[in-house]
Order: sequence, then structure tokens, then C-alpha cells
Amino acid sequence: MATTTASLTLTSTDLFDDSLSISNTSTLYKAGTTIGLDQTTGLTRTYVTATTQFDPFPVVKGATNADENGRVYIANLSEEITEFITVSIGDAVIGRLYAGDFLWMPWSPKLQHVNDLEITPSVATGMHIEFMAIHNYANIYPDSADS
Amino acid sequence: MATINATLSVSSGDLSSNSLSLSNTMTMTKAGTNTGLEFSSGLIRRKLTALTEIDLVTVGAQMYGTPTAAGDTHLSANKLYIKNTGSSSTDFVAIAIGDATGDEELLAAGGSSKVTLGNLYGGEWMIIPFHGTANNDILVKPSTAEATTIEWMLFFE
Repeated sequence: MATTTASLTLTSTDLFDDSLSISNTSTLYKAGTTIGLDQTTGLTRTYVTATTQFDPFPVVKGATNADENGRVYIANLSEEITEFITVSIGDAVIGRLYAGDFLWMPWSPKLQHVNDLEITPSVATGMHIEFMAIHNYANIYPDSADS
Repeated sequence: MATINATLSVSSGDLSSNSLSLSNTMTMTKAGTNTGLEFSSGLIRRKLTALTEIDLVTVGAQMYGTPTAAGDTHLSANKLYIKNTGSSSTDFVAIAIGDATGDEELLAAGGSSKVTLGNLYGGEWMIIPFHGTANNDILVKPSTAEATTIEWMLFFE
């Protein structure tokens, strides 16, 4: 088992009349256990040049992931403030990540096309994107050869 | 406008053969601008004591102002933070997105569906963009009827 920790701080001195300071740290465990997640897709950095929707973490066709609960990181590295990526799950839009924005969320993939994560760039002029999953999924790509 | 920063750090010494150390900071701005988000729901804390699914953020409802919805004519860069404040490694809250009255994981013709993102176990948290269009409510369902306390905060335009 591996020990992976994630922390988040949210701060602002002028959003409210008083300062905002939220800080959290958690260890990434397999669903329902205190056993650390032990797989990762690695941090992928890609340069997308089309507005075509794509799956950053494809679920293997016909396979089922059950009782698994990984974490997903997606970041828009663009420096052009008007450029965004739309992040969806299944047929539901989660939201837009504008230049410099990121998300961190749990993800429990099930069947292919049910709750796949999908990314749609807003422009075809080129945009750097990073994404990574830390997980114990049995059935996301890469898949067995010739399957 | 306000300056709101979110910093994420992820690290591990043994997840891979080499150490993982990721850190990223974002300043929350309005869509397509350098102007900071200026509204917030405040940090909301709620104790759930039933297996009932609740509508955490009801799109369009005047609960704490109406976040600007994203869409063809309205862009938004709203952000949503959610935390399960518990300590259980077995109890969780399931986070879903969609229509609260819709069928789970079904792609109904009318767009009436909801999709589960994943589960937040005790002490876990998430931060995601919030789209805010119709049928895109954020839904939370505890796995236990024992008291589960969650906190959340919406930052919006």
C-alpha cells in the first residue's frame, strides 16, 4: 500500500469582512478501508488542438468498476484568460475550468459511457491540460492486449 | 472584487517508484477575466441524519443569491467546495450531479438524470467548478442514517 496525502487551502482576506482561511489534509484510501490507493495514471500533460471532446481516463468497454473510489485532478494550464475546458461526467456538465483553474474530486467509474469523465476544450488553437487519477480501478485503460 | 486563492498539494513517497509532489494554486476569477469572484454562500455546515438525498446546491434557487449560470450566453467560473467532516473510513456521502428527480445514471431523453461523481469518506473533500444550469443540481446522499456532518461553500459570480 502507498501513502498519498492531499491538502487544500482556501484563503481570502477581502471576500468577507473577516478573513477566510480553510485548510484540509486527507490521506487517499481505497473505498471503505484505511488501505492506501496504490495505482495512478501518472500526471499527464497534453496539448490539445481541437475542440473535440475526449476521455482522459477511458473506462474499459463492457467492464464494470465496483466499490472503487479514486481521486481525480484536472488542470487547465492555459494562460489565455478566455480559454476554458468543459468537464463533464456522463451527460452532465460539472463545469468549466478557465485558464489556471483546477479541480480535485472523487470519482467512482462504473460502466463505460455511464459516468465517464470527459473534457472539451473551448478552442482549437492549442491548450495545455494536465490530468491525473490516483485510484484502485480495475477497469480503466490501458487494457489487456487484444481484448 | 476579491482575491480568493485555492492551493492543492498532493504528495507521496511510495505511490510510484519516484516521489510524487504536485502543487497548484488558482486564483478564483470571473469567467474570462482577471476579476476575482465576489460572492459566496459562506461556509455552510449541516448535519444529516437520514439516508435521504439532499439538494446541496439547487440551481436557480434564491438560497444565498443566484449564481450566474454557465451556458451559451452566460459564462461562469463558479467553484464549489464540499467536505465530509466525519472520521469514518466506511461511512460516506455520495456526490451526484443532475436532476434530483431523475433516474440514477440513466440518460433520459429529457435530460432528467443524475450521475454519481464519487464518494467522500470521513475527512475527505473536493473542489470542482459549478456549472449552475438547469438539471445540474449538486446532490448529496449519506451512506448511513447516523449523524454525518458536511460542510460546503460556493464561490460565485
